[in-house]
Amino acid sequence: MTSYTLDVYMPVIILMALAVGLVVVAVFVAQVLRPFKPSALKEQAYECGEDPVGTAWSNFNVRFYVVSLVFIVFDVEGALMFPVAAIFRKFVAIGEGAVLVGSLLVFISVLVFGIIYCWSKGDLDWVRSFQLSEDQVNQLKGIEEKA
Amino acid sequence: MFENILFFLSAALCIIGAAGVVFSKNLMHACVLLLASLFGIAGLYAVIGADFLAAAQLVIYAGGVVILMLFAVMLTGGSSDNSNKFGIEKIPAMGSTKTYVIAGFSVLVISFTVLKLMANFMKSYTKGELPAFSSTVEKIGTLLVTDHVLAFEISSILLLGALVGAAVIARPRKG
Amino acid sequence: MSPSINDYLNQFEAHRKAIGFISEVLGFDASGLVTFLVFAVASFLVVNVMALVGGLGTYAERKISADIQLRQGPNRVGPYGLLQFLADGVKMLMKEDIFPAQADRTLFNLAPLLALIGVFATLAVLPFSSGFTLTNLNIGVFYLIGVSSLVGVAVFLGGYSANSKWSMLGGMRGASQIISYEVPVTITILSIVLISGGMSFGSFVETQGGFPHQWYILHNPFTFIAFFVFFIGMLAETNRAPFDLPEAESELVSGYHTEYTGMRFGLFALAEYIEVFVLCGVAAAAFLGGYKVPFDLGNGVVFVEKLGLPAIIGKNIGQLLQMGSFLTKTLFLYYVVIWVRWTFPRIRVDQVMTICWKYLTPIALFNLVGITLWVFAFDGQSIWEVLSHLGGGAHGGGH
Repeated sequence: MTSYTLDVYMPVIILMALAVGLVVVAVFVAQVLRPFKPSALKEQAYECGEDPVGTAWSNFNVRFYVVSLVFIVFDVEGALMFPVAAIFRKFVAIGEGAVLVGSLLVFISVLVFGIIYCWSKGDLDWVRSFQLSEDQVNQLKGIEEKA
Repeated sequence: MFENILFFLSAALCIIGAAGVVFSKNLMHACVLLLASLFGIAGLYAVIGADFLAAAQLVIYAGGVVILMLFAVMLTGGSSDNSNKFGIEKIPAMGSTKTYVIAGFSVLVISFTVLKLMANFMKSYTKGELPAFSSTVEKIGTLLVTDHVLAFEISSILLLGALVGAAVIARPRKG
Repeated sequence: MSPSINDYLNQFEAHRKAIGFISEVLGFDASGLVTFLVFAVASFLVVNVMALVGGLGTYAERKISADIQLRQGPNRVGPYGLLQFLADGVKMLMKEDIFPAQADRTLFNLAPLLALIGVFATLAVLPFSSGFTLTNLNIGVFYLIGVSSLVGVAVFLGGYSANSKWSMLGGMRGASQIISYEVPVTITILSIVLISGGMSFGSFVETQGGFPHQWYILHNPFTFIAFFVFFIGMLAETNRAPFDLPEAESELVSGYHTEYTGMRFGLFALAEYIEVFVLCGVAAAAFLGGYKVPFDLGNGVVFVEKLGLPAIIGKNIGQLLQMGSFLTKTLFLYYVVIWVRWTFPRIRVDQVMTICWKYLTPIALFNLVGITLWVFAFDGQSIWEVLSHLGGGAHGGGH
């Protein structure tokens, strides 16, 4: 276990400051150099040459939200497994690897059940397919026969 | 010296972000300010030597929860609608003046009591030497598989519950 | 192994004498100031080199795509068209900054800034060589995964803030693609952490060797598959073709980029190219042996002992060799990324999600279990060592 001082985080802060500085410099230099002639036509939203109609917000499908929920669960799972993975070699070296293998496998298998459940219920499909029930099928057939 | 800089930066980010979330009128801006606040908290974790926790905060919160909130805001209608739907122009205060006066006095009394109790501890307060920071990852890992292995496994079941619950809630209703 | 570039420099007498000299001149202990200066200069250098790499990346992309499509590519500006990226940069600076009337001003300006912050912060842990890692954090790769998810937030905000239908759809799709593919990438990195026994990049690279049979990609069959899972995930994370639906020119008119003009668009593009380089660097460090040079030339011991050079020159030659090795591997992967872009057709959005959740994630989980069992059963040896132990007698081979 190496010890460290907080100086190891200095490059992180410096690099973030450099990123902010780069953006500020770029925007300021550009403001000096570039033309600025706004007009109502230029500032319209781009819709391939037509006049834009309506607001930009449309009814987004809930599948985006389901994807982000599933992602969060797997993200937390990965984050929890990282410390266990980092000491795996040490435990194997002293012969106690079976404990870790066991706990890791239990952890992973519980989440594999989760993904199998979501898969089988169709939550991972981007375009959800659904099964028609018996009488819905018969109803459709009845309409078709009449027509 | 750098510890102080890092601490002040993270604390400022945290407080300004939190204040922004509460006082902002635009929901999207509030989400982005929440991102800044969580970044500040990660910095605070780094200052006290909890490096794994800082990185976990970044991964899970800044990378996951904020995006989840942004998607949720998008799905429920965007935030461009600032108008007050119910026609209530002014939000009424909760309670009367009497309530606020009594609450204020209670806060004063309780805080004096607590500070008097804590004065016994704080008299002997000297700034001690912090132990040198060492990597917390291995300690956490060792604890997770030896002392707290049940917590480790139960957390996976908790995650499974969250996954199944989310999938069930987000399913379209039949009919 | 040094936790940062400062500790590498501290091993040289000359550096220590310089600190002592500056302390005398200034009157107080200058080691903190010197630390800060070293970090600042090194970070500035890395940022400049990365910006150059980003610019030359655009040039390389156009030349390679021209080669694949049997045409010339840029060849007018400078010798062989090498200065084309400078001309593009000047053009972007001078384009008018059109600001859509209904856009959200703060978020519109913030999105490229967030993307750039996310990408620059990942540069802090990239292992260019054993001495020139800016800071070898104990949580290196975990920190990198965390910070690069800022780019996903930036893509979403860019798409939302421009308040036009193309941008919104592009931003949503882009953000969901990035977060989905983080799952197989994280699980694959987890399996490499299992083998290497630490989360820092130094531990990734130091436990590999210089020769290909000592790299993790050839360590066992599971890591071989894991490399390709990581590579595909990396392509999708950076919105590179064939996963470039969020910026699909034929579908979404440039997706979340649509309303960005001039320098802001340039900053987004710069962030994307640097991110590709960083993730190629991560793949090189995790799977292809990082900065390790064959015959152990990298730690400079050979130069100091055999050739009798002073330590400061011998070690630095070793460092340069290591940097060359790392850059060669990373640029080779970069070339493969460009090659893939101009070879495969674009994948539809539902296919993108299917690939992630129904193929890559199960494969990554399978790899994780396989690698766990392998490390447990064979005590972390690679397949070559296992075979050589089986084949011959008692070889006293370490790693």
